[in-house]
Amino acid sequence: MSNRLAILLIAICSGLATLDVALSDNDTRVTRITHFEDSSSDRIPTVTAVPQYPEKARRDRIEGEATICYLIDSRGRIKRPSVRQSSHKMFAKPSMKAIRQSSYEPLRPGQNLSQVKSCRTYRFLLNPVAIEEVE
Amino acid sequence: MSRPAAFAFVLIATILLVSISSSEESKVVIGPRNPDLTEGAQELLAGNAETGVKLTLRGLVVAQGKREKEAALSNLCAGYIMINDLDSALTYCNMLLAENDQHWRGRNNRALIYVLRAEYDKAEEDLAIGQEVNPNARTLKVVKGMLLDKTHPVESNIIIDDRRSRKADEE
Repeated sequence: MSNRLAILLIAICSGLATLDVALSDNDTRVTRITHFEDSSSDRIPTVTAVPQYPEKARRDRIEGEATICYLIDSRGRIKRPSVRQSSHKMFAKPSMKAIRQSSYEPLRPGQNLSQVKSCRTYRFLLNPVAIEEVE
Repeated sequence: MSRPAAFAFVLIATILLVSISSSEESKVVIGPRNPDLTEGAQELLAGNAETGVKLTLRGLVVAQGKREKEAALSNLCAGYIMINDLDSALTYCNMLLAENDQHWRGRNNRALIYVLRAEYDKAEEDLAIGQEVNPNARTLKVVKGMLLDKTHPVESNIIIDDRRSRKADEE
């Protein structure tokens, strides 16, 4: 057993404490990332931040998705992001965080595009792994 | 009045006096009945597992009633897991669950021992019973996740999809 010990939950009643013990799992999680770009858009992503898979969802084997809609200003910055749809609230937060950290190429001088609403969908999936790969 | 009776009277009177005095000052202090058990738990909570186990062992010797005994056994199981003595931890978890097989913390802690020992079927059984007793317990979910990571490992796969959907265009 490694030393990565953590006491996770404590219930105290009338001066007596009862402990539940669990280990914190600091393993680096393997994540596969696929990005489908929109070929019909004139705006080119420069930074595409990847959301973190929510640990609770991963632990409980929950998959889902969240769609965030936003505007892109002339400097390529994301403006007014909002959650358009989320299959589970745990996916909305990391998706919003990722979109806020993302950006697009700024408009070139003379280039004039209206602020078009864009949407990005993050799908959170879990793929089975052969046990030998993990050990 | 015989001497024992007088003694008894004095003792009762003293207790009453203390009680009145306490209520006048609006202070009610309920001392722990089993200080070793309480301090042992505090040491365990502070991460001082060895001291916590020592104190809890002393507390177990003088434990009164089912609740104190179960708390001591449960904390000993947890404490021994913390110091990586899984054999002793299992002994105390087994003692606890022999006293009360519906003790979900005992089930949680024993399941963790079984996960660490790669005895996954036994861990699954304890988790199932623990979750029947307390379906919302977070630690049971954590240990269940650890078990699944051993028996059904997964890797996360995140797809970022910028393609315009008809619904998005309609908005």
